Amino acid sequence: MNDTDPSGMEWLSVGNSRLEVLRRGQGQPVLLLHGMQNIDPHAPFLDFLSRRVAIIAPSHPGFGHSPRPADFDTVYDLVHLYLDLLNTLPYEKVTVMGCSFGGWLAAELAVTCCHRIDRLVLVDAFGIKISDRETPDILDVFNTSPQEVQRRSWHAPEQWTPDFNAMSDDAVVVRAQNWESLCLYGWHPYMHNPQLKRWLHTITCPTLVLWGASDRIVEPSYGCAYSELIPHARFEVIANAGHHPEIEQPAVFVDHVVRFLEA
Amino acid sequence: MEIWYHNENPYPFVPQDVLDRADSVRASLPNRYCDPAIAANLFEETLDEFMLCDDLGINVVAIEHHAGINSLFGANPLILGILARQTRKVRILSMGTLISLRPDPVRVAEEYATADVISRGRLDIGFVKSGASEMASNNANPVTNIERYWEAIDLVIKTLQHQDGPFSWEGKHFTHRHVNIWPRPWQQPHPPLWAATGDPDTTSEVGRRGMVNVLVLRGEDGTKRAWSAYRQARAEAGLPPVTTSNFAYAALAYVGETHEEGVAIGSKLLWFLNTSLKMAPQYAQFLPGAMAPQFAPQVYRTKPQPPVRSDKETGAGKPVVSAIQNVGGLIGLTAEQAMARQILFAGSPDTVYQQIMDFYTNVGGFGHLVIIGRSGFMTHAEAEKGLKLFAKEVMPRLKEIPPRTVE
Repeated sequence: MNDTDPSGMEWLSVGNSRLEVLRRGQGQPVLLLHGMQNIDPHAPFLDFLSRRVAIIAPSHPGFGHSPRPADFDTVYDLVHLYLDLLNTLPYEKVTVMGCSFGGWLAAELAVTCCHRIDRLVLVDAFGIKISDRETPDILDVFNTSPQEVQRRSWHAPEQWTPDFNAMSDDAVVVRAQNWESLCLYGWHPYMHNPQLKRWLHTITCPTLVLWGASDRIVEPSYGCAYSELIPHARFEVIANAGHHPEIEQPAVFVDHVVRFLEA
Repeated sequence: MEIWYHNENPYPFVPQDVLDRADSVRASLPNRYCDPAIAANLFEETLDEFMLCDDLGINVVAIEHHAGINSLFGANPLILGILARQTRKVRILSMGTLISLRPDPVRVAEEYATADVISRGRLDIGFVKSGASEMASNNANPVTNIERYWEAIDLVIKTLQHQDGPFSWEGKHFTHRHVNIWPRPWQQPHPPLWAATGDPDTTSEVGRRGMVNVLVLRGEDGTKRAWSAYRQARAEAGLPPVTTSNFAYAALAYVGETHEEGVAIGSKLLWFLNTSLKMAPQYAQFLPGAMAPQFAPQVYRTKPQPPVRSDKETGAGKPVVSAIQNVGGLIGLTAEQAMARQILFAGSPDTVYQQIMDFYTNVGGFGHLVIIGRSGFMTHAEAEKGLKLFAKEVMPRLKEIPPRTVE
């Protein structure tokens, strides 16, 4: 760990990568892997959660302000970056929590080095193929109208749809970069690794699969099927929340997570 | 100057209320609106126009676009194969197989070599970056499009030139361990190469490679900016100046017997701009990689904001925002506006000649004129009449203009 940014973010060097990292709270370490957008430091769930745990939330290369090294453009790269990060952190084990796209990364990490993972939390996670070849599990966010993507992302889209007119230039640029990076990593095979499903049975750490009941980017039935592939995983649903339960229902979300961590 | 005829073979016969309701006339418009019997007639008419061009001495251009009313030429190599066999005299420009969308550039090279041999060396190969709705239609990652574009070009060129048995290619985007095509191309070391692009980054690389740079509907400012980047990149690389033969301009064009007739019929070409460019936001400004992210504040917002800071570098090789704004700025033009912007040349033989020469002078000269001579609801008969008049009255004057070196 090293210098702290005026915005409250820290910078962390892992191998050749420099990562913008949000660190908050004390207690058992939780590596939080964000989804389609980088973590908003003002999101209320961070404060609720950081009363119980120490959050370590990097922005993936190409997201937020983390630069993306040349030719760093696959989920393979991301998984190995975070394996390297686990070796850098001064903890024998950490809890890994991944949301959406970050849930895919969390599942890959758990399959690859379960012995370093205390507990695993997958939130509306991507990563596997469940349905038949003609039924997409995960909404194609790139080939669907932005309005429809928002409508299907939230329980209350009118409240949460981003307003680019009200954002700073920097915030809009970051969102465009995030979108480009997400596409780079997740375009094909679309938001999943065809081989991952086969290895989920090797996850031995306690696992919570948490889903927004109103998620129509990837529906709760997918989350339920995901949890059934992981030995002893718990599957829990949060009402009145879509693809981002940590944003729409922060207190309830953190209650679920803390109950699981303390069980 | 060389003259080329270009007809995208659009499919305009979708009811207007369907087009009005659709958020996009490309990529997502259901193909139930495309009647195969009407499509067959359109192919026949367009191919007949190309055959007429063969008689008139006008070279022909076969393009490729996917899944939309703007063009039925989704499979460029098939059209190329027909033209290679059925035409006998003129040159054929493929513009082109969309190489960044195809999984194996070696197959593309094989198709090009075959067409070059069948036509006995009358093929020109054009490379088009593709974009927007084509990414959805072809499952092609838009963010790495420009990387695939250049790697595919490198592999196509090596495949066309290599004569010493199998070679191996293990690139970032393409792998082919045993490349050895038969036949090899007729023209040595390979057919002339073109690239259709207007953004300065790509144009600079096109310039360093000495390819023919064709600007499509860019008008004076966009054309001058691109060709200036082309020449400057060559100068900076210590490469010799090129001639006007390295520059091509493609515009909507129609010649009538009178100025009024030429403008009246020529204005039908504006269908291309006013109807066939309609694209949903996910295929335009919200397509990842469609522009460098620092332009997002200008493009994502619906309300005007102060100009974006420009202290960050342009994403290397990425189209800048002007590419999207160029498309946006083309929709809804009248014939007068399109003529003023020099993307439509229309009128009598004399007035069309004058419009072309004004543009020629303004941009510093070019060696190829691509006339987009039929679009929308213009009839086959109208297109053929315009072609004949152009060939008889305008083309001889343009063909007298020799290539000259441009500094």
